[in-house]
Amino acid sequence: MLEPEVGQGALLSIRLQVNGEEREGEVEGRTTLADFLRDQLGLTGTHLGCEHGVCGACTVLLDSLPTRSCLVLAASADGCRVETVEGLARDGRLSRLQQAMWDSHSFQCGFCTPGFLIQAAALLAENPTPTEAEVRHALSGNLCRCTGYESIVRGVLAAAEGRELAGEGSK
Amino acid sequence: MRALVPAERYTGASVRRVEDERLLTGRGTYVADVRLPGMLHAAFCRSPLPHARIVAVHTESARLAPGVVAVFDGAQMAQMASPVASLIESSPSGGKVSFGILAVDKARLVGDPVALVVAESRALAEDACELIQVDYEELAPVVTVEQALDPNLPAIFEELGGNRLFGPETKVFGNVDGAFARADRVVRASIHQHRHQNVPMEGRAILASFDPSSGQLLVRASTQGVNTTRRMLAEQLRMPLDRLRVVAEDVGGSFGLKFGASREEVACCAASRALGRPVRWIEDRWENLTVSGQAREESFEVEAAVTAGGLILALRVQMVIDSGAYPGFAPLVVDTVREMMPGPYRLEALAFTSSGVVTNKASYVAYRGPWAAETFVRERMVDLVAQELGISAMEVRLRNLATRDEAPLRMVTGPSLAGITARDSLLRAAEMVDLASLQEHQRQLREEGRYLGVGFATYIEPAPGPRQEGGEENTERVRVELDREGSLLVHTAQMPHGQGHRTTLAQVAADEFGMRLGQVRVMVGDTQRTPEGFGTGGSRFAAMAGGAALHGARRLRGKVLEAAAQILDLAPAELDISHGELVGPGVPGGRLPLAELVRRIELAARSGQLPPGTDADLTATEDFDGGQSGWSGGTHCCVVEVDPDTGLVRILRYLVVEDCGDLINPAVVDGQIRGGVAQGVGAVLLERSAYDPQGQYLSATLMDYLLPTSLDIPHIEIEHLIPVRLDPDVNFRGVGEGGMIAAPPTICNAIADAISPFGAKVLEQHLPPARIVELIGAISA
Amino acid sequence: MLSWLLKLPPFAYRAPESLEEGLELLAAGDGEARVLAGGQSLIPMLALRLARPSLLVDLRRVPGLAEVKEDGAGLRIGALTTELVAERDPLVRARSPLLLEALDFIGHPAIRSRGTVVGSLCHADPAAELPAAALVLGAELTARSLGRGSRTIPARDFFLGPFTTALEFDEVVTEVRVPAAPPAEGTCFLEVSRRPGDFAMVGVAAAVTREGDRVVDLRLALTGVGDRPRLLTLDELGLEGRASSEGLFSEAGRSVGARLRPPEDLHASATYRRHLSTVLTERALRTAFGRADIRGGAAGA
Repeated sequence: MLEPEVGQGALLSIRLQVNGEEREGEVEGRTTLADFLRDQLGLTGTHLGCEHGVCGACTVLLDSLPTRSCLVLAASADGCRVETVEGLARDGRLSRLQQAMWDSHSFQCGFCTPGFLIQAAALLAENPTPTEAEVRHALSGNLCRCTGYESIVRGVLAAAEGRELAGEGSK
Repeated sequence: MRALVPAERYTGASVRRVEDERLLTGRGTYVADVRLPGMLHAAFCRSPLPHARIVAVHTESARLAPGVVAVFDGAQMAQMASPVASLIESSPSGGKVSFGILAVDKARLVGDPVALVVAESRALAEDACELIQVDYEELAPVVTVEQALDPNLPAIFEELGGNRLFGPETKVFGNVDGAFARADRVVRASIHQHRHQNVPMEGRAILASFDPSSGQLLVRASTQGVNTTRRMLAEQLRMPLDRLRVVAEDVGGSFGLKFGASREEVACCAASRALGRPVRWIEDRWENLTVSGQAREESFEVEAAVTAGGLILALRVQMVIDSGAYPGFAPLVVDTVREMMPGPYRLEALAFTSSGVVTNKASYVAYRGPWAAETFVRERMVDLVAQELGISAMEVRLRNLATRDEAPLRMVTGPSLAGITARDSLLRAAEMVDLASLQEHQRQLREEGRYLGVGFATYIEPAPGPRQEGGEENTERVRVELDREGSLLVHTAQMPHGQGHRTTLAQVAADEFGMRLGQVRVMVGDTQRTPEGFGTGGSRFAAMAGGAALHGARRLRGKVLEAAAQILDLAPAELDISHGELVGPGVPGGRLPLAELVRRIELAARSGQLPPGTDADLTATEDFDGGQSGWSGGTHCCVVEVDPDTGLVRILRYLVVEDCGDLINPAVVDGQIRGGVAQGVGAVLLERSAYDPQGQYLSATLMDYLLPTSLDIPHIEIEHLIPVRLDPDVNFRGVGEGGMIAAPPTICNAIADAISPFGAKVLEQHLPPARIVELIGAISA
Repeated sequence: MLSWLLKLPPFAYRAPESLEEGLELLAAGDGEARVLAGGQSLIPMLALRLARPSLLVDLRRVPGLAEVKEDGAGLRIGALTTELVAERDPLVRARSPLLLEALDFIGHPAIRSRGTVVGSLCHADPAAELPAAALVLGAELTARSLGRGSRTIPARDFFLGPFTTALEFDEVVTEVRVPAAPPAEGTCFLEVSRRPGDFAMVGVAAAVTREGDRVVDLRLALTGVGDRPRLLTLDELGLEGRASSEGLFSEAGRSVGARLRPPEDLHASATYRRHLSTVLTERALRTAFGRADIRGGAAGA
């Protein structure tokens, strides 16, 4: 028999590390990690584009692996490390990847951006010098409706090369 | 006198976008990111049937469900908001149609909203939706155009007396009968464009927050134009405009979808007003794919009068548009399709018949280049004519495209073609792809059983189109303002949703005024300060808003220099504004920060030290119609290889030669082109809004509605032509729609070329692998 | 019609610390409880409200289920081994090129990082890659329940229909065993999908054993063409006793195509699926044959 306190709608206590900080929360069994991050922790940088695991906008790092946060229960992430788009810039400085994406005009409307950044960060962590084909393959589970992907792929390759692109916007 | 030399200009440079730092760090603000105290969440109970009478809606158990604050059915909503009234002028039956914000007596498509649940969380609202029971009396679904024209099937709107929405209406330009009488041959084809859709990554979204004490409704919307959204909400909610404020921050794409206010959005506003609490609705992906709107479903019967030498003299075209369930945008599209049908071709006559029907499918909405069927039909026809005459498609294009210097350069439907470079773009594309060697390579590969194909499409796009002599004035307004911090504020009704307007408009204004880019702020998306104008659409931004900003900045600069000259007792010609400072030999210290100048102008004006006639109001409002240059256009070329056994298509090369006038920001322009081409690739190879014969929607998830991925879109080469500059100042033109207009016919032409050895004839736009194998004849259809 | 509601329906959640505790929860759940491993198939089914369990039993805390091991009989892949871990595992890479090739077709990195090999088998999607590979590899699943202990289910008895397996409601698959490939066997996994990463319209797993130019054994399983993948052998194709490989593969392709009654959906007609089955069967067999070492000893992809 199920104990009454673990029935449907009962709240479960979870504790996890998000962008290096210990965070706690009370969630229902059905609460996804994405909804937990957005609604309870206010980390709205992680976007929900489909809620059935196809678009990739909600991708976060879960124990260092790229993961769709709409397909993970918050309760299943108890005790895990989570990194979101908000954790990419450190001390107000953009990461090299973010900077290269900016320089490359990688994105347009910005909605898919967090998922691509996280997926690309995961790729570069594992393979710092990917080929274009490897970048396209790694990003093929993230949908962008605006760009046709070329600017995104170039951004990742630029980050990998550590190439500084001319950015007139700073003058 | 200008201090800036061309090399220092922002305009023409791929300046980094000012909006990106926020978006790259997860600090964008989309509607779903905003939480207000006391905020409630909306979910809709929707019809599972495409066509049914609603007998009763039982909401009692839903009202009692945990966390539920209110449930509204269609009848209740009808008391809270006016029905949508639609008038289709060309309708045979008067065309007056009206329908409720929520379905009242009838459900007209799968997903039609029947009741609205407002609860403490979205999940609880959805749980309650499942408890609503609706008694339906099923009606025969009307799914196809043929069914819509069948008098034995029930009318979707009784007041129409059938399911024909408008037409058939014929307009004739030039001597059509004469041209057909002269023709050596008539080439006929039935061409079909399939239903597909916008699918922005962010669906529709609204957060309505009514303040009972002031009677004000504040709406945060995901929209292409806050003014249009406010006007439509005010109409449906029967509220005075000044009680409604619409604000938009980040918008996650739209491509034509998010205009005005949808029924669901009106319903949320009405609910907020009734409850006195903020109500948020975030469209989920099922809703977005099933009910937000779909586009493009049009079919054409075409006859082309041609000479043996490949001249296309005239076209007879019959167009039928499937408007889906709720009439809206479809009747407007046919006018543009008709006018644009000749494109950049020297067609001497056109007879164009259009009609529209309603069906139990999602309503027809605007989608990037909504009139694109004219290019698809024409460019496919050109290739079919070539195939039938046994001459090359390149030859047929070159014989028929208007040349730059011939006169009178005008489409048979009216608009001037001055300044177009369509023919130049075709020649350049053929050169870039090295057509002769490519075709030789194609011949060799065919001997090995490999099937290469090359396709072209040439088009022009009103962006915003030539000045219409005697036509209705069509302008875009920009208000430019120098504030007390010495920043230049550029207010526009344009509502960026990915286009980077906050950057590009700043580039134009900064150059013209003499500012650093960081000193210019583009102000959008708040009806409290946004100037009038319907919003972003119709490729109006570059020429019209860009031009208005340029002229506005120029005029304000003149005013500022005039006032500065008075204060400093110098001639305006001795002064300049450069890098955001007033400079000139007579200026004390050589330079004066603009903030200081503004302070001194204000002081002088207050103390009456400025001579009468000096304008100390540091704003300028400018209306601009886009100037003399109105066409964008170009040629796309695609090379594919088709695997005849599997029907899989590999795009080996894709190139775009285009002319959108002077580029404000080349990286932004290229991004627009590539994004448009990607949607065209999707349309041909992957995307289809599919219904089964019973009217059930089959493409309701992203596992079924297939958006292209990074592995489906090739590298897209782009070359920009040197434009013909007809306007003394403003030669920017819109570029948002062309990619999506030209890509489908280009890819279809390439595939048709690849499989032509099998005798295949391509008359449709959607070519998934199964269909290609059918066309090849390896399997039966 | 799928539900238009995409938030998950309510359910109770437990993450037991031991397998026994998990089995107890399942037994008490009376068929209304579901096992949660990676969740990459189950959570979307919940989101689309195609499944309505009252309880999810998350195996994440159960020790010892995430390993890939090898014993005399072959590979043993634990229930919590993700597709990502499997595809990077040196044992899998060395011993099972077919499994590796099939894994490469599954989803995308952010799916494979959580989706499990065993989970995919238990989900039994008729278009999934791993069930077909498991059939050709002669895999066996180990299932445990509270009352009946442990039992072994061969893959060919495991898949009963769409999303339906031989598993009882109170059972958990603890591992899948993949026998060592016979020497002189070549394998190939091929599929055609609408986009890379999508479920196959048609997929073929093939294994061929050769002696010189002779095919001595052949096993095939197709995915996407029926309610479940089925194992086909030379016998079943009516091609036993055929000596030379030439002509055999195209004949096998035709034979496969002729016997199928594939489903139709918006991505592919039944006719197209049958046609693809013929084309891909021939291609997969030819490739597998080419990969088989004439002298014996498995050759990789």
